[in-house]
Amino acid sequence: MTSGLRRALELPAALLGVALAWDLYVRLSGVPPYLLPAPGDVGRAIVDLATSGQLWTHLSFTLGNLAAGLALGAVLGMAAGLALARVPALERALGGPILFLQTAPKIALAPLFVIWFGLGATSKMVLVVSLVLFPVMIGMLVGLRGVDRRLIDLARLLQLSPWQRFRRIELPAALPELFVGLRVGAVQAVVGAILGEWMSGRQGLGYLMTFATATYKTPMLFAAVVLTALLGIAVYQAVDVAERRLLSWRA
Amino acid sequence: MIRIEGVSKTFSGPGGPVEALRPVDLTILSGSFTSIIGPSGCGKSTLLRIVAGLETASTGRIANEGEQGRPGFVFQEPVLLPWLTARENVRFPLDTSGVPRAEGDRRTDELLAMIGLSSFAQALPRTLSGGMRQRVAIARALSYDPALLLMDEPFGALDLLTRDRLNDELMAIWTATRKTIVLVTHSVEEAAYLSDTVVVMSARPGAIKRIHTVDLERPRGERTKLDPRFHQLMADLRRDLA
Ligand SMILES: Nc1ncnc2c1ncn2[C@@H]1O[C@H](COP(=O)(O)OP(=O)(O)OP(=O)(O)O)[C@@H](O)[C@H]1O
Ligand SMILES: [Mg+2]
Repeated sequence: MTSGLRRALELPAALLGVALAWDLYVRLSGVPPYLLPAPGDVGRAIVDLATSGQLWTHLSFTLGNLAAGLALGAVLGMAAGLALARVPALERALGGPILFLQTAPKIALAPLFVIWFGLGATSKMVLVVSLVLFPVMIGMLVGLRGVDRRLIDLARLLQLSPWQRFRRIELPAALPELFVGLRVGAVQAVVGAILGEWMSGRQGLGYLMTFATATYKTPMLFAAVVLTALLGIAVYQAVDVAERRLLSWRA
Repeated sequence: MIRIEGVSKTFSGPGGPVEALRPVDLTILSGSFTSIIGPSGCGKSTLLRIVAGLETASTGRIANEGEQGRPGFVFQEPVLLPWLTARENVRFPLDTSGVPRAEGDRRTDELLAMIGLSSFAQALPRTLSGGMRQRVAIARALSYDPALLLMDEPFGALDLLTRDRLNDELMAIWTATRKTIVLVTHSVEEAAYLSDTVVVMSARPGAIKRIHTVDLERPRGERTKLDPRFHQLMADLRRDLA
């Protein structure tokens, strides 16, 4: 078996193992289904959601929000990181506050965003973007700072334009650190997207959770939780695949 | 012609200023082959970097009359882009200056053949040996046919056979194109064999100790290496270095 195939099978095998253990526990312990439904019931809830069309509505809403927020946050984070790397005065002025803010749990800002940007799509997007922006910005800054000085010499020697220098030398050289930031950002983006839907609106997997909880539909709640977990894994894997493609030149 | 007039360099280090280069005066004629030898740390790399514009001189000036365009530069250690293949690294200066694809491909393949790495065209730098990487760096410096070629101990990491072969290649390229070449080397033999002028520098802080004009006929080849004058020159250079 090739290592790629093994990697691809590892995750489903682990998930299957968890499902089997869960099923066994529910059968043997006799825990009531409104506390812990059997995996079969959760599966049925997912199928019900799928056949009624709700699954797609909620999933695509969350996914859309997530993807747009992740993309926008990544672009803004890269731009901010580049600005900090290029303008030392800016970095001196903002470096301290940024690192300080970095350690604060930014989801604490979520209620403020609702006050500032309303209950609609904007505040949800701002929440996701704000969570992605910081780690990406820091990854970009660290990456750009760490570019081998001799590669910068090469850029000067070859008289590259500022854009060529960035695109052809600095960005590829900073990519490993940038991806560290993107990984953190991708995980945070899922948290932000779900949290935004908990707080307001009538769409998305986060909303589905609050709805299921309020109406005591425990299998549906579990279905939403499972789907969210899978979504998070998928997003992380997407970043991972992108990283392995773009950084295949590393050992 | 490149005129180096009173160029000196003092670095500001953590332990105070470091004088790397005492004022240097040197004229490098267009189309000439100049070698610089000197003990380690005497400022050879610093001088070369100042000529290339990678470092600013603390005093003095460089007057560049005729060697226009991007200079070719081979760093002391090979500086390659690790995410590009050997071939893409050689092509890099052509790609970034808008040379048409077909033209760039042709030139790149020629150079890869010259450095003996055609079969490693698709290899990434980390899979190449140090000497192979340096050869790629040399090919990259030649790819855009610079009027001025500055080389900082380019052959230091190569085995004797490859070194001899590349010396002859370099001489052939120089004969055909009449680039202005400045070569920093630790090998008195290499300096004597290739150059019109050999500049000997004294230990740090570096200054020019002596300038030898090499009057061995060209074209040079295996016969040159048997010439008593060649051996006399090497002996003189060794004496100057001691
Ligand atoms: N960026 C720098 N900052 C501080 N000191 C430097 C710097 N670059 C070089 N030096 C110092 O300048 C002196 C000359 O260095 P240089 O690299 O030019 O020597 P070199 O003749 O090329 O030596 P080698 O033959 O070992 O390559 C050395 O003492 C070195 O420590
Ligand atoms: Mg040196």
